[in-house]
Amino acid sequence: MELFLHYLTLDYLLYGISLTLEVTALGLAGGLFLGVILAGMQMSRHRWLSGFARAYAVIFRGTPLLLQMVFAYDALPHIGLKLSAMGAAGLALAANEAPFIAEILRSGVLGVDRGQVAAGQALGMSSSVLMRRIIAPQAIRTMIPAFGNESVSALKNSSLASIISVQELTLRSTQLASSTFDFFSIFFASGVLYLLLTSAIGGLQLVAEFSLDLDRAPSRHPLLRWFSRFFAGNAKGTSAAPAQAASNVASEPLASDEQAVSPAVVIPMSRRDRAARSAGLSQGKIMVQVQNLSKRFGDHPVLSGLNLTVRTGEVVALLGPSGSGKSTLLRCINRLEEWEDGAVRVGGRRVGYAEGGIVLTPTEVAKQRAVLGVGMVFQQFNLFSHLTALENVSGPLRWVHGMSAAQADRRAHELLQRVGLGHRAHALPRHLSGGQQQRVAIARALAPRPSVLLLDEPTSALDPELVNEVLEVIRKLAVEDGLTMIISTHQVRFAREIADRVTFLSNGIVTEEGPADEVLTRPKHPLTARFLRVMGADSPAAIPL
Amino acid sequence: MFNNQGTTSLPEQASCKKANSPFSWLSKTLLGVSFAIVIASPGYAATEAPAHAKACLALQAKFPQFKGKTLVDAINPHTPGYESLDPKDPGKYIGFDIDLAEELGRCLGFSVSYKPVAFPALIPTMQSGQADLIISDIYATEERAKAVDFITYSKVSDGVLVAKGNPKKITGIDLSMCGTTAAENTGFVEVPLIENLAGPCKAAGKPAPVLQLYNNNADCVQAILAGRADTYVNDVNTVDHAVKAYPDKLSKALAVTLPYFIGIGVPKNNPQLRDAIVAALTEIQKSGFETALLKKWSLGEGSLEAPRVITSK
Repeated sequence: MELFLHYLTLDYLLYGISLTLEVTALGLAGGLFLGVILAGMQMSRHRWLSGFARAYAVIFRGTPLLLQMVFAYDALPHIGLKLSAMGAAGLALAANEAPFIAEILRSGVLGVDRGQVAAGQALGMSSSVLMRRIIAPQAIRTMIPAFGNESVSALKNSSLASIISVQELTLRSTQLASSTFDFFSIFFASGVLYLLLTSAIGGLQLVAEFSLDLDRAPSRHPLLRWFSRFFAGNAKGTSAAPAQAASNVASEPLASDEQAVSPAVVIPMSRRDRAARSAGLSQGKIMVQVQNLSKRFGDHPVLSGLNLTVRTGEVVALLGPSGSGKSTLLRCINRLEEWEDGAVRVGGRRVGYAEGGIVLTPTEVAKQRAVLGVGMVFQQFNLFSHLTALENVSGPLRWVHGMSAAQADRRAHELLQRVGLGHRAHALPRHLSGGQQQRVAIARALAPRPSVLLLDEPTSALDPELVNEVLEVIRKLAVEDGLTMIISTHQVRFAREIADRVTFLSNGIVTEEGPADEVLTRPKHPLTARFLRVMGADSPAAIPL
Repeated sequence: MFNNQGTTSLPEQASCKKANSPFSWLSKTLLGVSFAIVIASPGYAATEAPAHAKACLALQAKFPQFKGKTLVDAINPHTPGYESLDPKDPGKYIGFDIDLAEELGRCLGFSVSYKPVAFPALIPTMQSGQADLIISDIYATEERAKAVDFITYSKVSDGVLVAKGNPKKITGIDLSMCGTTAAENTGFVEVPLIENLAGPCKAAGKPAPVLQLYNNNADCVQAILAGRADTYVNDVNTVDHAVKAYPDKLSKALAVTLPYFIGIGVPKNNPQLRDAIVAALTEIQKSGFETALLKKWSLGEGSLEAPRVITSK
């Protein structure tokens, strides 16, 4: 015991720790650097880049670290690259860690919900903003345990540097044992020292997990606060570009809160009102024009020469069976999908193409989305799950539209009030009901004042009792704001109430189109009639058999 | 190839000189390294000059390219008596080979830093340019001389280490070893000799010996202590050392063994260094210094061997 304590506190071994930590730090820092590059290459669209990254992983993951160390130390000098023992050990460990770290990064990034990425794109975020604000903060949280593992493994692997004369803890222990013959006391002491080091890494991992825990109230401890900010990168008020004018949205709530929303009394417009409204609308400017749009997934055609025109202030309902192309059409209008043939124009500008028919780069498409102002609401809500309701609405205003933090928050508060969620501004999406989440998603889509709002089956993922609160919000947008909207829905009755026109899709083409009243009560096409019969329970206008 | 600045010089020697607080080691070490650069300029102080000091000055004039340099000596520091850590001050290496290397350095005007590697890595380390010479109780054999040049400085017989009382009655690398397990270091000259016993053993109707390969002397001794191996054949001094450390558990077998020459390894592409070492070693032996060292480390005064270059194509 005395000998053990002697070796546990022996300067010679303690100094070995500093070299052990040095090799580990070189390995992890270098591995992270190379890993970021490798992960980027692996996810690249260029085939030779991803091929190179894969070949690198095969070689460095597939050969023992021990051989890599000896190679870096004894073979590289023959080609004129003579590194110090520490340098060679650091290089070998970094090269070995890189493919493992790249896989952690890649799985972290791929693990972020694709829907949130689509939502970010629809809001006009560029790839870098998406990565920094949406993907990285969520990926980092999921990657911490894996990084903890990797750090512990790198620390232990650093002992292999003993083979190339780095005087780290293991080499010092074995040499000391050779000269003193106190094998067991020495190796027990050095084992305890390793255990202390790996426990320290475990402790750091716990601190990181704790400080990034979204369900925990924000910490008051400055160190933890710094830690969260450092990792999450979602500090407020980072951009302070010249502000847009403060909003003057109607202060009257669209839906005051859940109880008040549900028993909505709907008074359908009279036939004369409808006629007057449609006459007015038909004079309006064309807002969205889809011409001869064709798209296929592999061999399967999804859209086949589809045409659609939507005028300012019009509400168009897209009806049709599942797989008829409704969602794809909406995603094309926002250039979330590419297509083979045809054109989409929003506000007169061709989506996805510059003047002269040149295809826009992803960055330029992101810019175009922000400028054209096409808002999108998704079936699965796709709220950014690491951000509060307020941040979901105000974040994109700051990051994409350069609004100041104060203005963005003010606007977000107003919109949350309008959808009846002012009291839930600081709740995380996972703490909201489906209906509430969809209302936040609507507020988020409205925040940049879109010229047209696309709603992709906004109530399909909701429990039946939550459907009304969302429909009520949408109804008020149509009636009170006169917002141009394209809604794909299965709610025939709802479509009849709020849509000016109904477009019926089947197998990627428009089979019938016309005033909502007419198409829904007197369908001409047999497919439309059959569809309405099937949905009949929901529709008072269904034709009896 | 040689470090002029001495930035990598003697980090071992310089570090951890009995720091008072266990937590001051880092700063002390950093200080120690920087001081070592200043202090470690080699040469003889007037009071302790040995008999060969004058001849060495002449050699420094003849081989000026080594003066003031730091040469890296690859060692496998697991062989007490030849090279190991100083148990009293683990920041230092001690042993006959270390004293000899220091004296060669003093004679030719260079300082020595030590690079600890596994036994089989000694020669590759020098070949890759990571070390300038090898002084590590390595036998100068024809086979190894294909890779490096050797300058002999000592001769020694093998000894046979066995468990206390020699239960397997081993008498050397002969038929007595059939069916036993031998621990050796990778790259040891004894390895092929033991492997070659397979034929004679089979002819005698016995199983061939089993070889366990390790990376240093200490591992081989541990293999016998743990009952994994029956014998370990290495130079007799190393065997004696092990028996002295574990008198209750180990014995030296009464055995007929082969004599070997121990040599200093130098790169084949550096004849100047080879010639300088031969010349300096000649002077160090002539003055009786090496004999005194052999005595100091109890390696037998008769084991002195005149410097002779062993090389082969």
